[in-house]
Amino acid sequence: MFLLRDCGRWASASLGRRLPLRRLRSDSAAPCSPHFDVVVIGGGHAGTEAAAAAARCGSRTLLLTHRVDTIGQMSCNPSFGGIGKGHLMREVDALDGLCSRVCDQSGIHYKVLNRRKGPAVWGLRAQIDRKLYKQNMQKEILSTPLLTVQEGAVEDLVLAEPEPGYGGKSRVRGVVLADGSTMHAESVVLTTGTFLRGALIIGLEVHPAGRLGDQPSIGLAQTLEKLGFMVGRLKTGTPPRLAKESINFSILHEHTADNPPIPFSFLSDDVWIKPEDQLPCYLTHTNPRVDELVLENLHLNSHVKETTRGPRYCPSIESKVLRFPNRLHQVWLEPEGMDSDLIYPQGLSVTLPAELQEKMITCIRGLEKAKMVHPGYGVQYDYLDPRQISPSLETHLVQRLFFAGQINGTTGYEEAAAQGVIAGINASLRVSRKPPFVVSRTEGYIGVLIDDLTTLGTSEPYRMFTSRVEFRLSLRPDNADTRLTFRAHEDAGCVSPQRYKRALWMKSSLEEGISVLKSIKFSSSKWKKLIPQAPISINRSLPVSALDVLKYEEVDMESLASVVPEPLKKYTACRELARRLKIEATYESVLLYQLQEIKEVQQDEALQLPQDLDYLTIKDVSLSQEVREKLHLSRPQTIGAASRIPGVTPAAIINLLRFVRNTQQRQTAVMEHQTNQCL
Amino acid sequence: MWRGLSALVTRPASAPLRLCARCSTGAESLVPGSTIFALSSGQGRCAIAVIRTSGPASGLALRSLTALREPPPARSACLRLLRHPCSGEPLDRSLVLWFPGPQSFTGEDCMELHVHGGPAVVSGVLQALGSVPGLRPAKAGEFTRRAFAHGKLSLTEVEGLADLIHAETEAQRRQALRQLDGELSQLCQGWAKTLTKALAHVEAYIDFGEDDNLEEGVLEQVDRDVRALEVALSSHLRDARRGQRLRSGANVVVAGPPNAGKSSLVNLLSQKPVSIVSPEPGTTRDILETPVDLAGFPVLLSDTAGLREGAGAVEQEGVRRARQRLEQADIILGMLDASDLASSSSCSFLDTVVAPLVAQSHDSGRQRLLLLLNKSDLLSANAPASSTALPPHLLLSCHTGAGMDALLQALKTELAAVCGDPSTGPPLLTRARHQYHLQGCLDALGRFQLTTDLALAAEALRQARRQLSHLTGGGGTEEILDLIFQDFCVGK
Repeated sequence: MFLLRDCGRWASASLGRRLPLRRLRSDSAAPCSPHFDVVVIGGGHAGTEAAAAAARCGSRTLLLTHRVDTIGQMSCNPSFGGIGKGHLMREVDALDGLCSRVCDQSGIHYKVLNRRKGPAVWGLRAQIDRKLYKQNMQKEILSTPLLTVQEGAVEDLVLAEPEPGYGGKSRVRGVVLADGSTMHAESVVLTTGTFLRGALIIGLEVHPAGRLGDQPSIGLAQTLEKLGFMVGRLKTGTPPRLAKESINFSILHEHTADNPPIPFSFLSDDVWIKPEDQLPCYLTHTNPRVDELVLENLHLNSHVKETTRGPRYCPSIESKVLRFPNRLHQVWLEPEGMDSDLIYPQGLSVTLPAELQEKMITCIRGLEKAKMVHPGYGVQYDYLDPRQISPSLETHLVQRLFFAGQINGTTGYEEAAAQGVIAGINASLRVSRKPPFVVSRTEGYIGVLIDDLTTLGTSEPYRMFTSRVEFRLSLRPDNADTRLTFRAHEDAGCVSPQRYKRALWMKSSLEEGISVLKSIKFSSSKWKKLIPQAPISINRSLPVSALDVLKYEEVDMESLASVVPEPLKKYTACRELARRLKIEATYESVLLYQLQEIKEVQQDEALQLPQDLDYLTIKDVSLSQEVREKLHLSRPQTIGAASRIPGVTPAAIINLLRFVRNTQQRQTAVMEHQTNQCL
Repeated sequence: MWRGLSALVTRPASAPLRLCARCSTGAESLVPGSTIFALSSGQGRCAIAVIRTSGPASGLALRSLTALREPPPARSACLRLLRHPCSGEPLDRSLVLWFPGPQSFTGEDCMELHVHGGPAVVSGVLQALGSVPGLRPAKAGEFTRRAFAHGKLSLTEVEGLADLIHAETEAQRRQALRQLDGELSQLCQGWAKTLTKALAHVEAYIDFGEDDNLEEGVLEQVDRDVRALEVALSSHLRDARRGQRLRSGANVVVAGPPNAGKSSLVNLLSQKPVSIVSPEPGTTRDILETPVDLAGFPVLLSDTAGLREGAGAVEQEGVRRARQRLEQADIILGMLDASDLASSSSCSFLDTVVAPLVAQSHDSGRQRLLLLLNKSDLLSANAPASSTALPPHLLLSCHTGAGMDALLQALKTELAAVCGDPSTGPPLLTRARHQYHLQGCLDALGRFQLTTDLALAAEALRQARRQLSHLTGGGGTEEILDLIFQDFCVGK
């Protein structure tokens, strides 16, 4: 009934439609020759961000995609954000990326997760209307200055001799399309998602495809392998889709959205939808009959049996049943769009044969009569060991070739978008020979994500968790702009003036507000009288500042301003400012403890290792063979990154330090010598 | 300007002179861990021990211990009475030197205390320094690394630095193994396990608590576990301040196949009958250790069970303990029966113990090995026992005493290398480090509160775990994620 052959027909249909090539150019001033500064391959969440970021940085950019109408497609869950992922989106937004703004125009159910657990770990999340998201994203992409979009499948890369002074065996000069034509490019960003030798699996059937209805990229995968990239294989999955009208919602628990909804973007004051128009989600659970069905039919389920690494967390119902038997697992019924007839049963990712999927669904409360519109399926795909790229996302092997998104072994729209922005910025900076834009672990979740990938690699689809972040209390969703927007403006030039001004205003208002709050000091007994609801200990002999009082859960800027209207009143006029001052106060004292640690990490991050160092052969430094191989594989950019590679000893670090210092001294000596000669 | 020394001495020790350092809120206390301290003189008997600090809180440390309001004149020695900053208890009369940065060894503010070399004094001063806010024990090679970072060492001077750090790391690792041997180690590992689990469960609540159904009562259990841990740690710290036995000296372990004459050698070296000696293989079963003075160096000499497979259960336990003790040794006296080199137990010892040690002999900070061939008296003069395949070795006879002088000479050289190196972290320092991190862990646990801000609660546990991981190792993010995914069904 649901045969993969159908998917095959879809794929070939789309193949036919792809010709002749369409080229859509948003910027009529761009020259017509097929020569671009940056070519981005792929129009998913990494590709769109990369292309837009490169264009924002001032590069003439080409976005190559199989089909223009799939740009901005949400291939899996109809939601964006979440815990950790919401942090990434705020950071993407702080770099003037697209997805947060597009989500503010396309969401149908906004909800901040972890509301009761502290603002450092709030998770902005929303159910997104797939159709609207795609439309808005395409509008955004097609109206970005300097950005050209063209349909086409990339089969090969054009390579040339490497540029001296940088690492790498060759340099990319462009791409070869399936029709044999060539596009020249100064930098190339590859964001092929699950398309590298992608295969869909339902039950025992395997069908080559990058996504339901799209053919995989085989030629490109071969090219990369020939170039010497280490390739691994990962798997993921997606649940079946259900017909909305066939579900009995009346007996299920309804979850309503936030009112008012909190927007993702620093630039949005409000989201597009009226709070009361938001759609609800519903919660149901699996039951022992689901367990039985899964266990009885394991022999019909090749995706689950195979050894390809899936994540340790449980994305599929099969792994949940196998690893945690005899439990009820949650199934969230999420709307796919305002006028969509589909429901996405989150938590029910499954690769059983389609008929059994239908049977399983009807075991579940509320879904007794549910109609499956199309089945869930597994996806297996190639990824490239991310230790082969640097923190700028440029590959070690091929100069000016950048990888972003699932190709690097990550999972999730937000992880892809975050890498996309960084790759786009750096592809552009590389063209103008400017230093790379790297976010450190002390600056953002993006930094943690990329540092983890590039120094440690990954053997399961990498997902952002806040527990991965050492400096979680300072890397918060509320302050992503003060952490990143100014750097992005100064070092990359990828930020709009409007955003820059807004961030600047916010930063100076915050600083002013904090110093004013610090300056207001009363005795604890006076505070107790002014704000009786705050549990202030009156035994404190020293005067207490308003900032200290603001720490208490029971106190906010409004209550402070009502008892000390002068000079605090004005800080309550802007809701966001008042909210952020409160958050700053909450973490102020604890963050002081982290300052030294952050400083120590930053010191090590500041010690750059030469890019063209050949760890396997360098002579003046004594390193064991094991350490040499590890350094050779990950090519850490800084002493800090090197020290995080398992197996690289403190002694090896000191040796590297010495080597770097030595090289620096020699270089300075040479430069002085040259200057003297010139004089 | 300076208060008279006599005034200080006459003050009763019971009345604290200064505010308890940990409660003070000086500016320096806000930046913990930026100032380091270590014992910089070598292990072994010496009249004077030198304790150094480096970093911005050096001045505070100096003031806290000496009651000086101002640091003494730079780079000149003055004699002061040192007191514990919390208890006011007098520690020692000490020469105090103040080296304000950048004109110091590391380029930072430095302070040196020259105290009397007894273990009680050194231990007391180290603990006192650990209680000053902002001070922590130095990591291996940290002084030198700081000096390097501040451009105080030329490149040639730094040549040996990596080796030194490696040596220090290795020595500290072995030292820690010795220190954490047995009960204490199990305690620490147990605490670390509890703490890691508690943290993993809080982290799970943060990363997955909203959408995934975690079981009820997880956080309540975490709270109970943390409180119990706090009680255990604080009672341990109260005890540890008194009783813990210090095993000072270089660890010399005699090992080899059964009946090679290990016990005879131990008795000869210690000049007393420590071990029972019999011609029967497998006589020694447990570790027998005895403190001896060899060539002027303090040595902890251990006799071990002969290494062989397939003996009885009790002897196998002895063999297991022997192998464990080998891990902790500074110097290994590998002993073979010269007349029995071809036997399987001799060959096995050469392959599994001697060969790996010889292979890493170029490595700094390695375990040192002296290979001894005993029972030279049993060899007939015309049949030399030593085949060329053997690594360098000494021929001796415990029976006749032949070759003993050469052994003592060789031991002296090795002991000088082990004990003379100021970096090998004597147990005193290990203990100070141990207490410092346990106290830090306890302090962090005290900040754990299950309030609404779970991120803050988690931060306290993270800090506690980081302190403990200095003693037990581990502590990475992956460990936490593994536990989360093992204990909870989360993710979509």
